[in-house]
Amino acid sequence: MSDVMVDHTQKLEETAVPNNLEQQDKQDEEQPQQSVQENAEYEDEELHKLLVPDITQLPLIPPSAVEFNFASYFAPDFMKPGNDQYVYRHANGLCVVGLASTHLAFKDKGGITAVDFNVGKSDRSGMKVTGKRKKNAQHFESNTALCKVCTNGDSYIVRCCVKGSLLEVNERLIKQPELLHSSADREGYIAIIMPKPADWLKVKASLLSLEEFKKLRALC
Amino acid sequence: MSNEVESAQVSDAMEVAQLSSLAAVDSHAGSCEAEMPSRLLNDAVRSLPYHVVKDLLSIGVCSRCVLRILGTEDHIYCHSSFSQSMLCSVLEEVTGFKSECDFQFCSVCLGVLQLSYRDDKETLVKMESPNDMALVIAELVKKEGHQIDGFSLEVSIPQFILENESSLLSGMKKRYESEPWLQERLLSKCVSVKDVLKFAITKPLETLLDTKASASSFRIRLAYTHKMAFGNSVERNQGFKRRKIGTENGLQNVNDESVVANKDCSDYPTNETIAVTGRSSLKVPIDKVSEPCHLVYLCYRAHIYLCGRYLKYSRNVSQTRWIIDEERMGEASVEEIIGSNILPMCRGDNYKFHAAGREDIDVRMLGSGRPFLLEIQNARQVPSEETVKEIESKINGLENKLVGVKNLQVVGSQGWTLMREGEAEKQKQYCALVWISRPLEDEDVCSISLLNDMQILQKTPIRVLHRRSPLERKKIIYWMKIERIAESSQYFLLHLCTQAGTYIKEFVHGDFGRTQPSIGSILGCRAEILQLDVTDVKMDSF
Repeated sequence: MSDVMVDHTQKLEETAVPNNLEQQDKQDEEQPQQSVQENAEYEDEELHKLLVPDITQLPLIPPSAVEFNFASYFAPDFMKPGNDQYVYRHANGLCVVGLASTHLAFKDKGGITAVDFNVGKSDRSGMKVTGKRKKNAQHFESNTALCKVCTNGDSYIVRCCVKGSLLEVNERLIKQPELLHSSADREGYIAIIMPKPADWLKVKASLLSLEEFKKLRALC
Repeated sequence: MSNEVESAQVSDAMEVAQLSSLAAVDSHAGSCEAEMPSRLLNDAVRSLPYHVVKDLLSIGVCSRCVLRILGTEDHIYCHSSFSQSMLCSVLEEVTGFKSECDFQFCSVCLGVLQLSYRDDKETLVKMESPNDMALVIAELVKKEGHQIDGFSLEVSIPQFILENESSLLSGMKKRYESEPWLQERLLSKCVSVKDVLKFAITKPLETLLDTKASASSFRIRLAYTHKMAFGNSVERNQGFKRRKIGTENGLQNVNDESVVANKDCSDYPTNETIAVTGRSSLKVPIDKVSEPCHLVYLCYRAHIYLCGRYLKYSRNVSQTRWIIDEERMGEASVEEIIGSNILPMCRGDNYKFHAAGREDIDVRMLGSGRPFLLEIQNARQVPSEETVKEIESKINGLENKLVGVKNLQVVGSQGWTLMREGEAEKQKQYCALVWISRPLEDEDVCSISLLNDMQILQKTPIRVLHRRSPLERKKIIYWMKIERIAESSQYFLLHLCTQAGTYIKEFVHGDFGRTQPSIGSILGCRAEILQLDVTDVKMDSF
């Protein structure tokens, strides 16, 4: 469903509702009890008619919330070969960053064992951003480390990819690193970053669209 | 002959002559009504301590203020036919004091009770009787086209007047402290300038407007201000109503443009004492007041409110006007549809739309509707019950059927409290069209319906995170019910009732797992929401 607007319902041909309302207006306190109940039932029926969709208008597989509301970008081999990351940008400018499905970490046989946010100068999971103005948010560069993803044999540094304020990291990954396996593109996101409009434009130039990325990685 | 005294057309000279003859007559058993006011006035004047009247007149206190300060009941000297000059003459006659009544403004009321002022075009206006002021007001009401069934008269005067009065009163108490009349007349609080003016104008106004003065939403306001130079008194500086142009202290900035106009004011000596007799002298802060107050007549209706519930049938209509970069989002707004249909029926200046909560542009508002309050500013007419019903039908009958209205009615200011009542406790009912990534099982329908009063934790949704605080909010889902859709195994309708403030869309798709639990996590699969409708906003008082 779109965060802005969409309409999948059948187009209303009848004027069911105005009639309903006029009925309501004509009703006075003198109406016998039964009539009131009937009217209520009638209203419920009318309401229900509006709610039930026309199944023939619905797609078999609808676009996901992410697909609908975010623009997907990709950074292949970011700072290091195999380090494929995604940047999902919402219309409001916020960016959700995470591991693309082609990331090297997923190729490791043992799977991902741990995620550690204590990298660089501070523990990223410890910061508290407050207020509408996002006080205390740390300003990071695109190559600043966000976390370390560990597998049985190796460890990978995940970076911001986008210059901006770090609003949130996905702390759930600490206790549930397997989320990266089940859904790296949703529940397994790494962090949320708020770039300034100018900074976004700069980095956008170096990112690939979904199409371009698919081609590059020869994904179908 | 005595009847003619009441005529406003009688010239000054004649009035004085007639009053003199009246004064000479000891008692006049007048049977006709018209005589009574002047008899009462006459008696009242003759009962005053003459030397005090003389003292007051000599320091520039106007006749009405003299009568007022010395405790005369206002109905005696506020008769609408008593002109300024007539009252002046009466007092002078009685005390044998001749003053330049006509050229000066009262040192206490600054001309307010002399019915003299500067209007908005800076013209000096000297009304003869309160009736004339009432006429100006009535004209204004007519011009604005107000339909009224009552009015509330307010007068606002510069703080300075009250200060003048109080310092005069304390001076008088000192000077005349041993005198017998003091107890009776002075020690009880004298009627205020405001009240006297209101009293004088109210009756003629009631007649002209053909309605009664009452606690009405229709306000008539006489706003007096004064371009007065500040004296040494600090209190005066703090209480004074300033005019927008010019500096506050005219005395200091002689070169200032705005002060040039008030040159007379700036020449005032402050705390000048006028010794009339050898005793401690009467003081007034200002000696000669050569500028009257500036008066603005205002008539307006205080906000009126219409309340009701609205329905939104379209997924392309925002609740309020929504414009980004000069482009409108959506094809219309609930606010504008309702407001633009009601405002002209009230002939108001402006409207403000308030609703109990809101829904996204792509979410329909169905069922009982959402309570709203429409505030109309300066309505020229309060719509009747019939008119209100007409408006409701009109909106519901609009061709594009984007919005509907229920229970529309005019409501008092308690409308606000009704809206705010139990806002946090409000429960909302929704119907969502949900898709899941696997077929729906009977178990799912069952398990969902068993979840009652379930608490969820929602991090601020990403779609609003840019403008809201990052918080984790606890919300309650009171109940849920799945309604299967024929011919579909993965689509279904989810009916749910939640606490106010719950983000439904995020509860369905999980918002990257930042809402826990979510429909997806409960059913163990991916869930998406395609459509959302609000089906009930539970609020009893509306």
